[in-house]
Amino acid sequence: MHPITRREFVKRTALAGALLTPIPAILEACSTGTPSSTKTTKLTIAAVQGAEDGPLKKVAPMYQSQTGITMEVVEFPYDQLFEKLVTTFQANGSSYDLCMMDDPWMPKFGTMGALQPLDSNFGFTRDSDIPSIVYDVGTWPPPRGPVPPSEQGKSPHLYGITIVGNVEMFMYRKDLATTPPASWNDVLANAQKFNKSNFYGYVIRGKATNPASSDSLPILWSFGGDIFDANWKVMLDSTESIDAITFLTQTLKKYAEPGAENTDAADRDRLIAIGQAFQSTTWPAEVTGVVEAQGVSQVIGKMAYIPIPKGPGGKGLGMMGNWLLGIPKGSKNGSAAADFIKWLIKTDNMKTYVQNGGIPTRTSLLNDPALGQNNPYFPALAQSLAAQPNWRPRTDQWNAVETVYGTAVNQAVAGLKTPKDALTAAATQIRAAMKQAGYPS
Amino acid sequence: MANLPARTAAQAVRRAGRRRLSRDERLGYLILLPALGAVFAIVTIPFVLVIAQSISTDDGTIVGLRNYSRALANPLLYEAIRATGIYTLIVLPIEFVLGLSFAVLVHRTVRRPGLRAAIYVLAILPLVVPQVAIGVVARLAYAPSYGVLNVILERLGVIHQEINWLGDPTLAMLAVASVDVWQWTPFVYLVLFSGLQTVPRESVEAAQIDGANWWAQFRYIDLHYLRPLFILIVFFRLADVLRVFDHVFILTGGGPGTTTQLLSLYMYRVEFKFFDTAQAAALAVMVLVSFSLLYALIARVLPLERA
Repeated sequence: MHPITRREFVKRTALAGALLTPIPAILEACSTGTPSSTKTTKLTIAAVQGAEDGPLKKVAPMYQSQTGITMEVVEFPYDQLFEKLVTTFQANGSSYDLCMMDDPWMPKFGTMGALQPLDSNFGFTRDSDIPSIVYDVGTWPPPRGPVPPSEQGKSPHLYGITIVGNVEMFMYRKDLATTPPASWNDVLANAQKFNKSNFYGYVIRGKATNPASSDSLPILWSFGGDIFDANWKVMLDSTESIDAITFLTQTLKKYAEPGAENTDAADRDRLIAIGQAFQSTTWPAEVTGVVEAQGVSQVIGKMAYIPIPKGPGGKGLGMMGNWLLGIPKGSKNGSAAADFIKWLIKTDNMKTYVQNGGIPTRTSLLNDPALGQNNPYFPALAQSLAAQPNWRPRTDQWNAVETVYGTAVNQAVAGLKTPKDALTAAATQIRAAMKQAGYPS
Repeated sequence: MANLPARTAAQAVRRAGRRRLSRDERLGYLILLPALGAVFAIVTIPFVLVIAQSISTDDGTIVGLRNYSRALANPLLYEAIRATGIYTLIVLPIEFVLGLSFAVLVHRTVRRPGLRAAIYVLAILPLVVPQVAIGVVARLAYAPSYGVLNVILERLGVIHQEINWLGDPTLAMLAVASVDVWQWTPFVYLVLFSGLQTVPRESVEAAQIDGANWWAQFRYIDLHYLRPLFILIVFFRLADVLRVFDHVFILTGGGPGTTTQLLSLYMYRVEFKFFDTAQAAALAVMVLVSFSLLYALIARVLPLERA
């Protein structure tokens, strides 16, 4: 064999590297992008890291053993998952065959046209055992309530199926108060009654942006306030809205924990779990993950879970926080991904999913006494779903709106601004943002 | 004819300029090509794209400087600039003074190589810990009701009521700044300590023979050798301050209100919460230009050369 010099070797290597580097990109570009006719061997799920995807990870191997399809769950923290999905969808990437989506993300993904319709493409139909609101929240454009201007006239399709039936509820110490608070006035009365040194009458989850927004919206709605009316007019500076936020950030705050403006869900759960607080709003994952978790909580069996108490108008409105599974438009395994969703929501499989910590959407499972023993919040969740909880405004601008609104509530909790000043400024900012986005604010 | 030699020389220069590259030179360029290509792909192309995005809408329509005027009209930008300015004014002087003090102290008092190596390792540690981890630990220290700091202060009898570290605007800013000081003071120390190692022993001994006290030695000898490193530290730390994100996001999320919403957090929200790519691109270009000008100014004020 003819020997070569070191210089020649370096030269040839450099040339070979330069020639071979673009080959994968060229091969990728030459691919058709249409669904592959070959049998699917692997499904990749983009999931949110935490209590929400834990049960999914536990049941995925079952599907794998039944079908031979490898299930890969790629986890991201909440914020990163959203950003990752948006950038993947913008590039029409095929990295994920299924994606977990928080329900307020649906307008963004729906408007982007990022998902494959489950009804027309894969034959999904509504199941009477699953509340209609659960299907509504996965439908785009929304079948009720205001529709974004750019989406008006489009026919609604189902793009997501709920796999975590989250609805915001209320929890209180039933070992201390014998009757559940029916209204926010009762909540206030209990807060006054039970508040003492190192035991807080109420816990406010007031950290800026999403936490403050999620914590305050059920109160805002229960007081008759809202962020938008039915025609996208901003009504955050209405009397009802200001009254609601004043009630939370001034009246109820007198009996709340110190540092409420920096309290997030983990801090709230800790206070409740170590027996230092009487009541608060809560999400199912907080109940199973901390408040009723063996070896973690000191208040197991001492808490009661009820739907959101009623406001002055006699209505109590919980907030949906469903996590859905959808199929990205870029996925080349849409049919196999749809089969997995259908498998997961079958009653028996959903029961196994619940036994592994999942939060169901099937009424029969929520009302199953055997399952309810380990999940004391199931009856409250069933009632909340049946009462048609509110969803966050169905606009692709929701992230911006939530950031502005959640910052304003945080300012009010921190006492940096009065509730009126904070909400008025937020309303002005949201009006400008919505106008910029083509809404009639 | 008098012009002939000059013309011939010029032609010779041009010929030399056009001469064929040697094998070695061609090989050199060939080897450089992937690196230059990578720089072009990951720096130049994104920069051009950002500029293009900053003057257009999402659908690609060119709108001139409208995105810039929108960005400048947003009051939150000025709140973020103010917060970043306050943060910088807190962290940079403290890190500078502490880092310099430690460097001089160790340089003058610690002679054992083993001890110096141990201090070196201790100083490296904060720099290699992920910012997210530091943020989480800091939250455990400052958090309301269970924060370690309040517990320690209460047990020591320094305070009788919990301090709301993360809820009060001033304290929240100090809390996020303290994390920066903890992490980056060692960097300043390491750079300045290495600078002190370069001070010639003869100069110090000569000054001591002349009766110079420690302050005079520091002021007229050490400081002279450290000056170029000051600009290096200012450059690095300013760039870092502009990128501060993780620990602020975890500790306060920019709150209370927007009092700790630094420029990086604000830009993140414009891009990933508001999804206003055009405005975010305009902000990015403005920040880049502003800091380039600032760096040029600093370079002029603090001369790089010692002489």
